[in-house]
Amino acid sequence: MTTLTLDVRDVTKRFGDGDTAVTAVRGVSLAVEPGEVVLIMGPSGSGKTTLLSMMGALLRPTSGSIHLDGTELSGLSEGRLPDIRLGQFGFIFQDFNLLSALTVLENVALVAELAGVKGKAAREKATALLTNLGLGPRLDFLPEKLSGGEKQRVAIARALINDPTLILADEPTANLDSKIGHEIMRLLRRIAKEQGRSVVIVSHDQRIRDIADRVLWLEDGSFKDEVTMATDPVCGMSVEREAAADAERNGKTYWFCSNGCRTEFLGS
Amino acid sequence: MSASLLLARRNLARNRARLVVSVGGVALALSLTLALDAIYAGVANQLTSYIDRSGADVWVAQAGVRNLHMVASWLPDSVTDEVRAVDGVAEATPILYSTDTIAAGDERAVAYVIGLPADARMGGPWDVVEGSARVGRGEIIVDRDFARKAGVSLGDPVTVLGGEARIVGLSDGTASLVNSVAFVSFDDFRAMRGGAPVVSFVIAGIEPGASPDGVAAEIERRVSGVTVQSSASFSDGERRLVTDMSADVISIMNIIGFVVALTVVALTVYVATLARRREYGALKALGAPNRFLYRVVLGQAFLSVVVGFAAAVGFTALLAFAVARTGLALELAINAGSVAKIALFGSIIAALAAMLPIRQIASLDPAVVFRRGAAP
Repeated sequence: MTTLTLDVRDVTKRFGDGDTAVTAVRGVSLAVEPGEVVLIMGPSGSGKTTLLSMMGALLRPTSGSIHLDGTELSGLSEGRLPDIRLGQFGFIFQDFNLLSALTVLENVALVAELAGVKGKAAREKATALLTNLGLGPRLDFLPEKLSGGEKQRVAIARALINDPTLILADEPTANLDSKIGHEIMRLLRRIAKEQGRSVVIVSHDQRIRDIADRVLWLEDGSFKDEVTMATDPVCGMSVEREAAADAERNGKTYWFCSNGCRTEFLGS
Repeated sequence: MSASLLLARRNLARNRARLVVSVGGVALALSLTLALDAIYAGVANQLTSYIDRSGADVWVAQAGVRNLHMVASWLPDSVTDEVRAVDGVAEATPILYSTDTIAAGDERAVAYVIGLPADARMGGPWDVVEGSARVGRGEIIVDRDFARKAGVSLGDPVTVLGGEARIVGLSDGTASLVNSVAFVSFDDFRAMRGGAPVVSFVIAGIEPGASPDGVAAEIERRVSGVTVQSSASFSDGERRLVTDMSADVISIMNIIGFVVALTVVALTVYVATLARRREYGALKALGAPNRFLYRVVLGQAFLSVVVGFAAAVGFTALLAFAVARTGLALELAINAGSVAKIALFGSIIAALAAMLPIRQIASLDPAVVFRRGAAP
C-alpha cells in the first residue's frame, strides 16, 4: 500500500452565513502520492486558490479533513500551524513574494533560520541549493536585479530549503514567458521525481499540462474531470492516457501520442 | 546578527528617504530636549561657579537663608570671629554680597557684586587674566566679557553700588547668560551701603581631615542665628533653584520633543510596514511566527531611535562645542542624567511606535499572498 503525502477528504469551504453564504469548495477529495505532480486547473473563481490555501494550512475547511503525512491539519491549533508550514510545506507564489530588502542568499537562508538552522549553516545550505539551481553568480543580488525566471528559481530554492514533504505552487508560470515557464515546470518535476517530494500546482496555463502526472479540472468548487498523463516512450511526448493509443509489454501498459509511435514501439 | 534584526535593518536602509525622515525626526526632537537640558545645566553651572570656585568649604548665612541668589543675608560683624573660634575651622572670611547694575560707557549689566576684604584668602576671582587679583579701595575686578562689550580696560572707571571704581583686574569664567560677578573692596561696599557693621556671608576653610558637613553642624551649634552648609550642599541648593525655575519649561519642551519623535517614528514604521504588507504575509504563509514579525517591526523602530539618539547626542555635543567657541556667555552642559533621560524617551517612543504596525501584522491574513498584485 502506498503511503499518501496528502490526503484531502470530502473538504468543503463556505464563506459567510445564511443567504449570503458562498461555497468556494464543495466536497473535494484528493490523494497525492510521494513524488507525484498534480496540476489543478479551472476557470477563475472555481475555488483553486481556496483549495490550495486549505491544503497549505493557511485556511481551515468548513468540513472534511486534510491529512499531511498522516497528521490531520484541520485538527491542529493555530499555534502549531506556523511550524507545520515551515517544515512540511514549500510555497511558490505567482508574484514570487521575495523579500525586496534581502539578497537572494538571505531570502533563502532566512527561511532555514526560521526553522531553527543556525546562521552559518543556513547560509551554507542556501548557497548549495541556489548554486544547484544555477543561481550561484546571483547570491548577493537583490530580487529587483533578477529576471522573472531567476526570481521563480529563488522562490523554488526557498520552498525547498527546509526539505518539505509537499510543494504547493500557485500559478508559478503566470509572470514568466512560455520558455522560462516551461523550464521552471520541468525543474519542479525533476525535483519531485528525484527527491520524492509531492507537488500540487494550481494554474490556468495549459502549456504546463505535460509536466504533470495528473491534471484535475476544478469548476464551481468541485472536481469535474481528471486526466492522467503519461509519457510516450518513443518520442517522449506527454499524453493523456484516456485519449491515447496504448499497448502492453511484459505486463506493463504504455501510452503513445500516435499510432506511428505505437507501431514503432511494438516493432522494436 | 539575528534574522529579525537583519531584516529590520535592511527594511530600514532600503528606503533612504524614509530612513532620513525617521532618523532625522528622532534626532531633531531628542536634540531639542537634550539641548534645552544642557542649556539649563549650563546656566546652573554658571550660577554656582562662584560657590564652587570660591575656595570655601563652608558657607555661613543668616538663619533660614539657604541660597546665594534671590535672597538677602545679613549677619552681625561679630559672627566672623565666632566662626573662627569653632573647632575644625582653619580660616573665615566675611563677604558682602548684592545684586547690582554695573555700568561702563553705554554698557549696563546685572552683576553679583562681592565685597572682599583686602587680606581675603578665599572668595576672590579664581581666574584673573589681566591685572590684579586683589581689590583695594576705589578698585573693581570685572569679567572680561563685560569689559570687552563696554569697551573698557584696566584703569577705566565703572559705576557700581552708586559709586565709581577703577578697573584693576579682568577675570574669566565669571559671566553667565544673565549676569557676571564683580569684586570690590569690602570697605567700599560697606561704605556705599551706609557703613552698618554687618556682613552677608562668612565663608570658611576647614582643618585638614575635618568634614565640611561636620564643621557646618558644629558652627550651627556654637553660633546663634545662622544657617551653615557645606559648599557642596550650598551649591546643590543653588542648582535646585535653577531646576525648580526651569522645570515647567523643560517639561513642556520634553513633551513636545517626545510627541514629535513619537509621531515621526510611528508614522514611518507604520508606512514601512504597510508598504511591506505582502512580504509580511508571505513570511506568515511560509511559517514565520507572529513573534518573529513583531521583532522585525520593533527592530525597525528601535534602530530608527538608536541612530536618531546617537545623532542627537552627537549634534548637541557639536552644538555645545561650537557655542563654547563663539564667546557667548552660554554653556551647554550635557550630563549623564539628560542622556539617560532621552535614551529612556527613545525606548518608550520605539515601543509605542511599533504597537500600531504590530496590531496590523497580527491581523494580517497570510492568504494575502494569493491575491494578485505587483510584487518584487
